[in-house]
Amino acid sequence: MCVWCERYSQGHERWYLNPANYARRLYKVRKEEVESAGAEANPQAAGGMATVGRDYIEAMQANDHETVERLRTAAEQRSWAVHFGQVVTIEEIHQILEIIYPISLITCACRRSMRGLPDEENFTCVGMGPGMYKWERWPETYRGGVHFLTPDEGKEVIDVLNRRGLVHCMYTFGTPYLGGICNCDYPDCAGIRTAQDLGVKTLWKGHYVADVDSDRCNGCALCARRCQFDALSFSPSTQMAYIDPLKCFGCGLCRNVCKPNAIAMVERASLPAVAEVW
Amino acid sequence: MALPTILVDDEKCHDPLSCRKCLLVCPTRVLGLGTSVGPEKFKQIDPAFFVVRGVRFQFCTGCDKCVEVCPTHAIQISFDGGKVA
Ligand code: SF4
Ligand code: SF4
Ligand code: SF4
Ligand code: SF4
Repeated sequence: MCVWCERYSQGHERWYLNPANYARRLYKVRKEEVESAGAEANPQAAGGMATVGRDYIEAMQANDHETVERLRTAAEQRSWAVHFGQVVTIEEIHQILEIIYPISLITCACRRSMRGLPDEENFTCVGMGPGMYKWERWPETYRGGVHFLTPDEGKEVIDVLNRRGLVHCMYTFGTPYLGGICNCDYPDCAGIRTAQDLGVKTLWKGHYVADVDSDRCNGCALCARRCQFDALSFSPSTQMAYIDPLKCFGCGLCRNVCKPNAIAMVERASLPAVAEVW
Repeated sequence: MALPTILVDDEKCHDPLSCRKCLLVCPTRVLGLGTSVGPEKFKQIDPAFFVVRGVRFQFCTGCDKCVEVCPTHAIQISFDGGKVA
């Protein structure tokens, strides 16, 4: 079982469907917490002082497992206490948009950092909660300010971002308080990058795993460009999509472009081998 | 595998958010913008304090495209200090 649901769902189906986890002023996280929170929270972190430093990468290359393990554990504990994410499907985002207020489209700190994107091209994050009124009031300070959206407008925006191929992730700002829906891709987004490149779980897999139905797959390969997690490949021998359930983050992006509905999102809990693979 | 050292002279790199030539040219998307002031409220997201750093330095191939594209010769890449695993 997902430890976050165990701790914070309070009878709701998932912890991020529990309205109580949105009831906090956004960015109440204190300075010292932000400092250790990783690249998304602190651009300085993106500039070389991410959740782990050069010593971690040197230890990885030297196969110094003990050091890697020690640094990884420390980085994960910090991240999980303050700022980490979990992948969710588009259906779940639509549900979430019905329980959060206000829904605020804001600029993405990760793409500003990794692409140098100007604000007007960079509205891909959704913030929520009364803290967003500060973003409205001081647009210079908060980099481009905010566009407030109705739930229906929010869904339209999310659908466009999904078609673009971005993964929806729920992020905490002082766990368990959820403050952002990040729409991410590899390697620009610090969460995915940190999980994939460094094996530090700043981003948790979601509650589903994609499963290909070989009777339905017509070999069109449309899904092949959708996976940001290296979990999906197109098999030359079968001429069909091949998904590694151990690597799948359950984002559903591949499924969303599959015309014959050959990809199903299966509950992680229903597959014993991956039920605890987060 | 050798790890590079990526040095950027912040004095020579003015306003990297508007320039960003090195970020865009790098084939392995190594470079990114950080800030020179730490997590100081408001300043940390002020472009005036942005600096270029080798965020994903472990993916640098040493192709020197960033070095060549930089109009102010602010970037130095070296593999001399890199460890061999
Ligand atoms: S998009 Fe669907 S039909 Fe096409 S290759 Fe992928 S799984 Fe098969
Ligand atoms: S295989 Fe599909 S559902 Fe799984 S991570 Fe890749 S795109 Fe997402
Ligand atoms: S040398 Fe090449 S790979 Fe390395 S940072 Fe510069 S552009 Fe990127
Ligand atoms: S190309 Fe040179 S001046 Fe331009 S952002 Fe990069 S380091 Fe700075």
